[in-house]
Amino acid sequence: MSFELLIDILIATVPLMLIFATVFAFTTWLERKALARIQNRIGPNKVGIPCTRIGLFGLGQPTADGIKMIFKENIVPTGADRLFHLLAPILALIPSMLVLCFLPLDFPWLNENSVKAFLLDGAVIFFFAITGLNTLAVFMAGWASRNKYSLLGGMRAVAQMISYEIPLVLSAVIVVMMVGSLDAAEIAGEQKGGNWFVFYPWGFAAFVIFFIAALAETNRSPFDLPEAESEIIAGYFTEYSGFKFALFFLAEYIAMFAISGLAVTLFLGGGDGPGLAVLPWLSVIWFLAKIFALIAVMIWLRGTLPRLRVDQLMGFAWKFMLPLSILNIFVAGFAWHAKQLDSQFIMVITWVISLAVLYGAASGLNQLNRGKVRPREYKYAE
Amino acid sequence: MSILGGGIFKGMAVTLRNFLGSYTNKKERLPTIDYSWRADGALPQGIGDYPKEKGEQLSDTTTVTEYSRNFPMLLHDGGEPMDTVRCVACQICERECPPQCIYIEKDYDENGKYIKRPAVFDIDVSVCMSCQICVEVCPFDAIVMNSQFELSTPDRFGGLLMRRDDLLKSNDYYHKIHPEEAAARDAKIAAEKAAKEAKKKAAAEKARAAAEKKATEAAKEDAK
Repeated sequence: MSFELLIDILIATVPLMLIFATVFAFTTWLERKALARIQNRIGPNKVGIPCTRIGLFGLGQPTADGIKMIFKENIVPTGADRLFHLLAPILALIPSMLVLCFLPLDFPWLNENSVKAFLLDGAVIFFFAITGLNTLAVFMAGWASRNKYSLLGGMRAVAQMISYEIPLVLSAVIVVMMVGSLDAAEIAGEQKGGNWFVFYPWGFAAFVIFFIAALAETNRSPFDLPEAESEIIAGYFTEYSGFKFALFFLAEYIAMFAISGLAVTLFLGGGDGPGLAVLPWLSVIWFLAKIFALIAVMIWLRGTLPRLRVDQLMGFAWKFMLPLSILNIFVAGFAWHAKQLDSQFIMVITWVISLAVLYGAASGLNQLNRGKVRPREYKYAE
Repeated sequence: MSILGGGIFKGMAVTLRNFLGSYTNKKERLPTIDYSWRADGALPQGIGDYPKEKGEQLSDTTTVTEYSRNFPMLLHDGGEPMDTVRCVACQICERECPPQCIYIEKDYDENGKYIKRPAVFDIDVSVCMSCQICVEVCPFDAIVMNSQFELSTPDRFGGLLMRRDDLLKSNDYYHKIHPEEAAARDAKIAAEKAAKEAKKKAAAEKARAAAEKKATEAAKEDAK
């Protein structure tokens, strides 16, 4: 391997690691602040410049957390499988870091000839293949801890992630159908100039399904059953402390960025946005801004919605999202054929019809799945 | 017909209002009190921000809004608590309590006759989930929620068990912490009492009328 190639590889990969690790620290602070404000609290506001009382809105909190995590004792329970207990957080981090390379980020210092972190024309399919490993890591952590709460969390995680993987992939399939390519850069290129897929009814439905499934895949609230604090302590990472816990935490957030990045690529036009013709490097900014917008919505949802029950979670995946995403594939197929006719009028008709079909199907499924809600009955009173 | 997923948007609007309001309308949307003012000369540096001077309670009416509910209390109508206590030890709340944290024993006088008040009324703080179901089911308006939240104790066995005498609070105290709710409850009790009395009066009236009628009929019979 030549020296220049090594430099090229470093130039392509190191910024990714640096940007997302920094952004991770900032996001934890942002999330705590936002959640606090939603709950009428102040949030972290004390940790600023050391040895003074300058708070800086608590911006020192991520650093303090990091220092604490590194110096904390690494506790492994008696009877735990030490090797897998160690491997699980690493295995959780690697896939989420790896898939960052597929995001079509056009850094200004990368030119035509430089090595891209990954140039793979099957990026989308590879993304799902790699993120699937996350389930294994979570279950490994639950199994290796030799703790009933951890095992329960691991089992919940497996059930949840496998169920929600299907609507996730099926909604991504629609975009692949429309573009005819699995290459992330090509998918983003197809949506140049405001032609984002989210503006079509089938694209919007797919985006919503994708976003909900992404919440479940990354164990975010309201689908945070694997780590439900009030039910099973912290689920699969009950027995983790110190830096291993920090790795899990990091992996979870990086996975959030990665899956938001994929959602941006598939539905929100990648790096597309105003001002690109004048300043091409703005595309990176747009891309990161869109990721951040999605993350903000995730935080907002976390502050709003209560956790689902296990049966509601499974029912939602199999009885609502799966039929809807399969129907959406058919709708998108018809839309694709209508597009071949190349007529403005037919396009508009398709737009309206597909919107009506999808909304009707969604509310029909909603009505079918509606549980009976009764007021609470008292057994002994009255 | 409501919009699909409309409930989620409604909830998100509420949280957004809280989020933005905490910056603009601090009085209403950010009731958290920052105790760092204590450190500005009042206390030596390094002392924490939740200082407790001896006997100081944060959970009084000045720091807690009137909508705060934390833990049940037993109401009495003033005077000697056990003479005016509203609870009759019917044990409905004990049986209805989801985590079963209430324990009640009835009170008996020396002849073994049941007097309508509890001899023992314990609630376990560590088990109570503040669901307020006991308040909803109580037919006597005897148990309501208190806003006191500083219940921590160094004794994790006895200290976390609230005894009857700890739980007894006067109706005046209830009016002080939850004025709106207490007024509504008093009005409800008064209305119920009035309705009951009216019914009683009507029944008495009816009985008297019937008796009179009977008497006149009997008199007629006699006259014949």
